[in-house]
Amino acid sequence: MKIQSRRRIANVTGVALVGTLALAGCGSNNNTTATSSGSSSTSASSTGCATGTLSGEGSTAQKNAIDQAITDYQTTCPGATVNYNGTGSGAGVKQFTAGQVAFGGSDSALKSVPVAGATVTEQAAADKACGSPAWDIPMVTGPIAVVYNVKGVSKLILTPAVSAKIFNGVITTWNDPAIAAINPGVTLPATAIKVFFRSDSSGTTENFTKYLAAAAPTAWTAASGKTWTGKGEGKQASSGVSNAVKATDGGITYTEWSYAKDDQLAMAQIDNGGGPVELTAPAVSQALSLAKQAGTGNNIILKLDYTTKAPGAYPILLVTYEIACSKGKDAAKAKLLQSFLKSFASSGEQAKLVTIGYAPLPANIQGQVNTAIAALS
Amino acid sequence: MTAADVTSDSNLAALRPPASNAGFSHRSRSRALRNLVARVVMWLAFLIALVPLVWILWSVVTKGGALLLNSTWWTNSQRGITDRMVGGGAAHAIEGTLIEALATAVMAVPIGVMTAIYLVEYGRGRLANIVSFMVDILTGIPSIVAALFIYAVWVTTFGFQRVGFAVCLALVLLMIPVIVRSTEEMLKLVHNDLREASYALGVPKWKTIARVVVPTAFSGIITGILLGLARIMGETAPLLILGPYTKDIATDIFGGLVPTLPTMINQDRTEVLQPAVDRVWGAAMTLILIILLLNIAGRLVSRLGAPKT
Repeated sequence: MKIQSRRRIANVTGVALVGTLALAGCGSNNNTTATSSGSSSTSASSTGCATGTLSGEGSTAQKNAIDQAITDYQTTCPGATVNYNGTGSGAGVKQFTAGQVAFGGSDSALKSVPVAGATVTEQAAADKACGSPAWDIPMVTGPIAVVYNVKGVSKLILTPAVSAKIFNGVITTWNDPAIAAINPGVTLPATAIKVFFRSDSSGTTENFTKYLAAAAPTAWTAASGKTWTGKGEGKQASSGVSNAVKATDGGITYTEWSYAKDDQLAMAQIDNGGGPVELTAPAVSQALSLAKQAGTGNNIILKLDYTTKAPGAYPILLVTYEIACSKGKDAAKAKLLQSFLKSFASSGEQAKLVTIGYAPLPANIQGQVNTAIAALS
Repeated sequence: MTAADVTSDSNLAALRPPASNAGFSHRSRSRALRNLVARVVMWLAFLIALVPLVWILWSVVTKGGALLLNSTWWTNSQRGITDRMVGGGAAHAIEGTLIEALATAVMAVPIGVMTAIYLVEYGRGRLANIVSFMVDILTGIPSIVAALFIYAVWVTTFGFQRVGFAVCLALVLLMIPVIVRSTEEMLKLVHNDLREASYALGVPKWKTIARVVVPTAFSGIITGILLGLARIMGETAPLLILGPYTKDIATDIFGGLVPTLPTMINQDRTEVLQPAVDRVWGAAMTLILIILLLNIAGRLVSRLGAPKT
């Protein structure tokens, strides 16, 4: 009796194990129902396919863009697999220097001065990990939208000084004379302004506060950095601040363009002194094309001009980089990386990113990027 | 105070039967009251404990249930699916979870069971105490510490890549104490009479263990293993540190990233786009289902195989 039941258990477990293994054998990667339309054919012609598996990690700001690029690349090149984990820019740099990923995604280029507490610079550590110079390659431009929710106000213009005063709590109601003065013809209600900010450490916060500090140095008194030092109520992640503004009359925050689009929030026009500029892809590319190359050679580090008064240039944006070894340790992987980045930087792919809230690289920078990618080996 | 109480106090001897009667009924009333209060409190505590459970199940089923009815959920991976697309499935993550659990079990079960056999059958003196103490310490190790330890050894010291096998190593650390403790209990339940009868027939000790003790406790050991498996399958910290996610089906635990259900949930948990949010709930429900099935299997095995005495 006992032995019989034991056998039965052994059988059951055996069947379960075999079943598990059998199940592990099947399953399909072929999601043909997902149609990718448009420019994937154009990138197909411009991309020589490579095969293999490639892993990257880092910035969440570029995750949606790179997901799209990966999907399109893999449609063109079925033999290739590219993985990207959005774990944050800091983690991206760390894993890249630890040799864990073939490329890192970061909102800021590798630093050439040691950060507090470190003995070697990020650049030096990355170079050492590569055994060759590590290059920063700008790939995705993420505009930051100033979004608001005020009943009856569908058009709002903000200058850097007024933005800074709103975000550090000096201006507290929507019908404040300072706001009214730059928005002639708009009826502003007496609703209180509710500022929301990112409670987590964020590259978006860093770039937005950098913009405020550069463009409104007298009005913006708080420090700039990854953590918010202004006034308001903290919310977790881009989705958190976007949802909070959507649900709050009188709310205002800064968030990535893609979130503003997905949540269908009203975006303020920014007037840096050259007239109000609406957030559009050409306006962002226009501002980015004015950025200066602060790196050397194929290491492309863009220095943004937040104070630009150029008409039609939208000044609040962040650039995310792919960090890669100029000479890959594994030839096959290096070839795959080069092929993937080439497809990512192609005009077809960059134009496609506009629909999901990113701006394409301007022609002058795209040229430098393509040169750098071609020089990868 | 009732009149009966007063009389019973003043005239104890004379009025014992009625007094004690009255006292009895009084005390029983207070007992009944206390009983009632205790019962209400207990039921309340039970219901309060039930609230989060039902709530979790309810939201997971309502938000993620629909996806599971889609046949591609069980057959396809997420390759080529971005957060704004509907489609694809969780086959890659389900397979990854099962494969990593199996690989972990292959390593942890022999070590765990052997350790338990040593502790129960052979362990005397200082070494056994040390082993037992170490198992206790291992039980108390938070999963994040196990994960960081393996990261320090695997990546920082040896410079290897993060692969599925490294995750398995961290999970082994978490699974061993569970198996040791459950197997130990099961072996202790085996009657000493059985062992003595076996010795009396001249059977050597190792054979007694292999043929009498372990078979008698077999179903209990299997139950412990299944529960241990259920525990490590839902473990997330080692996966976050050692097992980055991939959308592709990947079954080679030595050669690259292996996707799992917890990392699939983590990947999209901050998304606002509906297709991605739905998939997070779907993956959560799938994970709950798999672990539920394992728990039920554990119960079934222990019921079917309970030693007949």
